[in-house]
Amino acid sequence: MRPYVSTARRYLWVLVPMLALVWGAGLAAGYVEYTTTYEAQAQVWVLRVSQDLAIPNPDDPNVPVVQTVGAQQAELLGQLLRTKSVLRDVVQRTSLRAALAAAPDESGYLTQIAKHFKIQALGTNLVSVAFTAHDPKTPAEMVNAALAVRSERVAQARIAGSSALSALYRREFEIAQGQALAAQRQLDDFNASHTGQLSADEIHQQSLLKLAVDLAQGRLVNLQNRIDDTDVAPALVDMSGIEFQVVDPAQAETSPSGGTRTAATLAGIAFVVGCALACLLVLCGTFLANRFAASTDLATLAPAKLFAAVPQVGVKDQARRDLRRTLAAEAFSNIDTAESRMASESRGR
Amino acid sequence: MRDLALSGSVPHAKRNGAPPRQHAPSADELASWVSLTAPVAGAFDALASRIDSSGVRILGFTSALSGEGVSTIALGTALALAALRRDAVLLVDANWIQPSLTSDAHLGSARGLAECLGSDASVAAVARPASRPRLWFLPVGDRQLARPSLRALESFVADGLDAFGAVVVDLPALLPAEQFVVPWPPVLDQLFVVLRDAATPLALVRQALEKLGSHVATQLVLNRASAPEARFRPTDRR
Repeated sequence: MRPYVSTARRYLWVLVPMLALVWGAGLAAGYVEYTTTYEAQAQVWVLRVSQDLAIPNPDDPNVPVVQTVGAQQAELLGQLLRTKSVLRDVVQRTSLRAALAAAPDESGYLTQIAKHFKIQALGTNLVSVAFTAHDPKTPAEMVNAALAVRSERVAQARIAGSSALSALYRREFEIAQGQALAAQRQLDDFNASHTGQLSADEIHQQSLLKLAVDLAQGRLVNLQNRIDDTDVAPALVDMSGIEFQVVDPAQAETSPSGGTRTAATLAGIAFVVGCALACLLVLCGTFLANRFAASTDLATLAPAKLFAAVPQVGVKDQARRDLRRTLAAEAFSNIDTAESRMASESRGR
Repeated sequence: MRDLALSGSVPHAKRNGAPPRQHAPSADELASWVSLTAPVAGAFDALASRIDSSGVRILGFTSALSGEGVSTIALGTALALAALRRDAVLLVDANWIQPSLTSDAHLGSARGLAECLGSDASVAAVARPASRPRLWFLPVGDRQLARPSLRALESFVADGLDAFGAVVVDLPALLPAEQFVVPWPPVLDQLFVVLRDAATPLALVRQALEKLGSHVATQLVLNRASAPEARFRPTDRR
């Protein structure tokens, strides 16, 4: 531990500015992010569609539902807002439409927009839809537009789905109608051809024909009911609005919000990066110090031993590299004079 | 020895028990010496005191690599020793590769150590008194004339250096100029290898020490230590 502390002290003049720079930049970025982020949030109350009103799945009407309705709707809304066409519709309804039109890369722009949506299931039946931006007006516009587009898309999908199902049922109804007519015709033919006393076998055959006619008529009634349901159900759901109620619409925020987490993340990253850099510097410094001469490592040069250490000194305002020249100036400044004196002394002798 | 005294340029031999002859420092010189800033003086005073107390008379400074501050330490130590001792101190520029002290003294064309080793001159003839009291300087001389060899160095030490109380030799870096350093240790009382704190690779220092051999008494001087009070921990005062 001691070598690391020693290295840290030695590189203190590097560590302190570096940490100040990294941490300062992180804190500044976090502060800017926090003070310029606005979030608008809408809360939506969702209900599971009644099975009587729901459109049954023609392939498998008995699919078990394992999600809560809140999670299910949040997931569905999230998926919807990942599609480019929906996002384009949403942006077209807001003040960002000009930015979208001016964006050189529409796809990239929409991808960035999608990242600002946050959809969460707050409970079994509560969903929140939020949008963050760097101005107070846009988030509310985006959230409300997203919910409006979603409602329209769902209604359109339902109408299209019910129409298809209705067409299918009508086709089945036509077939069943034909089958019912055929059964009735067979029964009428049998009655016309057996006017007298009927034997036991003929009575049994007549009963079977009557049963076939009843079954065919029952199926006709059933199919007619289903056709009626598919026509009426979407209209009922759409009119009631109980499936997806916006409890708290998004409002334009006047004070910054929603940037706390991002700001904390930025500051945290800066803190971690600063610590990591400092540790790296200390580790590298210690490693290098172990490879280069230092009084603590000179024992490895035995039998040569440390005799003395000359401290690092400076001369007045001069740089350390000028130390030898300073000393030389002190030692040799009058050497020519001394030489002439020596010469004169020699001449005197 | 008498020749040395007659020349008037080299102090008397110490063996006579008399202090070496020198010119008396003037008031200006003393003021100039005092002007050397306290941190600088203090930095080399400690090293000089330890050298003085250890009884080392002829010492050399080298390093594993160039640029470790050997010339600076040699010069500072010589200055501090001259201020500390009462006898003369000779600073020898033996850096055959980069004689920076000779350049600083503007004695690039003057005769010096090379001439002494080539037997063309005596120390008495080529050593020059420096600006500081009791400090003498021997420039490197014409390096084409001679190269340091053990025999020449033994002769050089035996003939001319006994007039000085201390001799400080500035040597080149060992690894790039091994041939100019290796002959010196046998004639030195102590060889110091200078390392720059937290800069000199220990592996290269180890390599340089291996080139010197284990029979050479080598000690280390840590240059530019950042915390002198913490790092000044001599391990052996012998």
